[in-house]
Amino acid sequence: MGRLGAAYNWFDERTAIRSLLRKGLYEAVPVRGAWFYTLGSATLILILLQLITGIFLTLLYVPSVTEAWASLNYLKQHDAFGSIVRGIHLWSAYILLFVIGLHMVRTFFSGSYKRPRELNWITGVGLFVLVLGMAITGAFLPWDQAAYWTAVVVTNIPAYIPLVGSFTRALWRGGDFVGPITLSRTFGIHVWLLPVILFPLIGAHLALLRKHGEFGSYINYRGAYRSREGVDVPPAPQQRPIEPPYPAVPTDELWAAPLQTEDFYPHQTFKDGAVTAALVILVFILAVAIGAPLEQMADPSTTSYTPVPEWFFLPLDELLLLVPKQLIPLVLVLPAGGVLLMLTLPFIDRDPERNPFERPAVMVPGAFAVLFVVILTLLGSGRLFNL
Amino acid sequence: MARRDPRRLSRRQFDLLGTQVAGAVVAVLLGIPIIGFLISPLFRREEAVWRKVGDIAEVPEAQPTKFEVSFPQQAWTAVEIKAAVYVVKRNGNYKVFSNVCSHMECPVRWQEALSQFLCPCHGGLYNIDGVNVGGPPPKPLPQFVHRIDGTTLYVQNRFTESI
Amino acid sequence: MSALLAVIGPAFHQLQGQLPASAPQGNNIVAAQAAIGSLFSIHILIAGLVSGAGELGPAIEFLGYMRQRRRYDRLAHGLGRFITLYFSVSSTIAILLITVLLVGFWGHFWTTIVTIGFWPLFIEAWTFVLQVSLAYLWYYTWEPLRAFKGLHMAIGGLLAIASFLQVYMIDVIASYMLTPTNPQNPIRLVLNPTSYPLTVHRTVGNLAYIGFVFGAFCAIRYVRARTQEDKAFYDWAGSFGLLWGISMTLLQPVVGYSYAKEIQLHAYASWYKMMFGTLSPVFLWQITLLGIMLITATLYFGRRLRTDGARGAGLLRAFSVAMVFTTLLAAQPYHLAFTYADVAAAGLDRPFWDGGLINPLGSMIPWKVLALMFYTLIAIAAIVWYLRGLPGVVWGTARRGEERLLMLMAVLTMAMMVTMGFIRENSRAPFLISGEMTIQGQQNTQSSQPTPAPSSSP
Repeated sequence: MGRLGAAYNWFDERTAIRSLLRKGLYEAVPVRGAWFYTLGSATLILILLQLITGIFLTLLYVPSVTEAWASLNYLKQHDAFGSIVRGIHLWSAYILLFVIGLHMVRTFFSGSYKRPRELNWITGVGLFVLVLGMAITGAFLPWDQAAYWTAVVVTNIPAYIPLVGSFTRALWRGGDFVGPITLSRTFGIHVWLLPVILFPLIGAHLALLRKHGEFGSYINYRGAYRSREGVDVPPAPQQRPIEPPYPAVPTDELWAAPLQTEDFYPHQTFKDGAVTAALVILVFILAVAIGAPLEQMADPSTTSYTPVPEWFFLPLDELLLLVPKQLIPLVLVLPAGGVLLMLTLPFIDRDPERNPFERPAVMVPGAFAVLFVVILTLLGSGRLFNL
Repeated sequence: MARRDPRRLSRRQFDLLGTQVAGAVVAVLLGIPIIGFLISPLFRREEAVWRKVGDIAEVPEAQPTKFEVSFPQQAWTAVEIKAAVYVVKRNGNYKVFSNVCSHMECPVRWQEALSQFLCPCHGGLYNIDGVNVGGPPPKPLPQFVHRIDGTTLYVQNRFTESI
Repeated sequence: MSALLAVIGPAFHQLQGQLPASAPQGNNIVAAQAAIGSLFSIHILIAGLVSGAGELGPAIEFLGYMRQRRRYDRLAHGLGRFITLYFSVSSTIAILLITVLLVGFWGHFWTTIVTIGFWPLFIEAWTFVLQVSLAYLWYYTWEPLRAFKGLHMAIGGLLAIASFLQVYMIDVIASYMLTPTNPQNPIRLVLNPTSYPLTVHRTVGNLAYIGFVFGAFCAIRYVRARTQEDKAFYDWAGSFGLLWGISMTLLQPVVGYSYAKEIQLHAYASWYKMMFGTLSPVFLWQITLLGIMLITATLYFGRRLRTDGARGAGLLRAFSVAMVFTTLLAAQPYHLAFTYADVAAAGLDRPFWDGGLINPLGSMIPWKVLALMFYTLIAIAAIVWYLRGLPGVVWGTARRGEERLLMLMAVLTMAMMVTMGFIRENSRAPFLISGEMTIQGQQNTQSSQPTPAPSSSP
């Protein structure tokens, strides 16, 4: 024990850091399905990447209609490293949206939202919506043509809420038209309002995860709980003693422990790290090779520029194209209904069955929803390609 | 416990190493651009520009006279920033001072009553030749790089000595 | 019924106006068109099944593997058998179509399209080889590879990819004919404005179609089945086919609507007349037919659950009633004359309750759109309720009524397929390649003068 060890002991005596680390690192996680859990940690890391690069971008960016574009243009012209940071911010946001979607789909298909993990799912839905909100508000900020027209179209969508529509739009825009206040407000929403909700929610999501443990693969639990035909199958013998957070005595088939567990550190962190590193390398390559585009400065008088939505906005944009004028509020109702359905999912589907192939009444409409979004995205991108 | 099994141990070490390598990759890929971005202004030189101050034929002997001049600002900003120029004529020679105090860069001003330049922040004093004669300033009052064409004074946006 | 009557008159009227007096080689143009049209319809009816089976079969095999139920395996095996039996029929018709009818009647057009779409057609030809090889391999290694299910399912996956590629490549050609782009740019050619929606529409359509058809086939086999095991299997497979078909069908209104939007944006003339003008009798027929299909499906769901006293039967009957009302809304014609111009000319441009000929309930926007949405929502609810009730169903107890509904469903689907094919191919008239090569232009090149080089500019 050298000086460092002594300093650590001094610190531990006052903060109990050692037991905190032990609690954080040495926890039982299921062996099967572990690669699926990396989607969650990848989501977390990508959000943190957003936080870090975002903080550094605010060291330069000016949220003003006259200087927002100019400051980013300066970055593009004169600061290669800054351009990479902005590229990482953009590409990791794109990949984050993709990964968080996969994470949700995985959770849905594996039935992980069931008792006792209902609140994990609900906070997750909240996080998903917040991340989408971050993505949309972030798209306003460069104040180039793409950003300006995104701002115009997106702030117009709530205008179709019955009764309070134009009020909501004016509230967001800070007036009747998109302008300086719109940018200031959206910047505030992007860097303050949404993050202060987002990060505590992430904390709650992780705390709940630690409380209940991962439930990634029903194969883990095969035979550990009552099968659908009502035949009691005795739980398979545990290969290791049941460890927290899994209950030692499975009083309820829902609370059964996975058949095989191992330590979170270093086994799960290795898998998490491998996936995260692969994603970060991908983000880095994209940030260096493609970077974040910056079009001409916002020009409302244009008659030659064709606004194109961000890719994650494509399904909604395709709906804007398809929905006739009398039914425009549907563009709001469909996503809002989707979110509402997601929030209530754990209470609608309370059957303990978790095998995705044995609960078609939930999987089929779920697959419909996913297919619907995918098809709208495909159709939308095909349309934009042929503009 | 299973730790005694050599195979188990090696897998543990492998995962440990993998976690560390992954962490290092993330740290490096993220750290290099961010640090580069952070320190990049240090390696950027402001472009030197000449600006016309005005006609100095009327400047009286031993009487610091204030002129104003505009310089471009950092980076992308289109709006220029004003700077004060004190021109001092002594025995037919001109000195061109800035109003930036060499202590904490507060704006000094010429005090007729003292016949000295006074810094209002911490009471720094400079004589008419710009020599730091009182208070905390460690160096003389900075002078602009300048040239005189006939009676027209031009200054550059930099000092003869760094402060 | 109004829709059906309305479709016939203007359809023939319009067709006659668009066609030149005589076909190449002095044949009767109507006979030539009828020969090509009917053969293409038969080709599509069989080829749609083959490619649908090539995609659905492997999927069912995978499902069976995951659920560890033998009946999925038996069903997938049956689909494999179907491909091996009928692949050659549809290809033979295709070869006959191409080598004799297309080259013979529309030689110049055919040369042009092969020049433009050489690579897609080249890949298309090879996907045929790939598909048939994989299909036979997949079918005949079923038992030998039973111990290596993963490998067998991989072969099935390749078969599905080959089947999809085959449809995709021919869709590139078909969509190009409607919305041509710069043929020099292969990416533009492959991703021309309607290739995306057409491919999705057709792939999903083929998947639905094979479901309905094997459902009907199983219904027939169920009625004739002797053993209880067969009865249980065919009962289940019929239900599965219908469920699968309806699930796929539900995606179609959105895709089809988007497809029509693309045609509106990129080939306005075709869009305007593909449903035969303002009355859109073809669309009325189509949307009514879709309604009847959905009524049939909800009726089947309700009856099948009721037979075994499973939960949800009552609600499903309510869904059938709702579906009937929605279909009645969807079937409303907008005006009671062939064209809006006729209505306006007669000065009857006002709602029928004011003595006019306009029926506001029949307008596309918003009523037909609303009807399509109600179709989708009710059908999704019906599917979910049926799935919830399924654990209470004992397979092998279905009554004849349910099986008749399954058989009816296949007939309705075939009618839908033929209607769709007719709309698509007729929408381009009088062009063979929209905006570039007319039937008349193709006619002129059949004279003794040398054939001019095909125009390849967009």
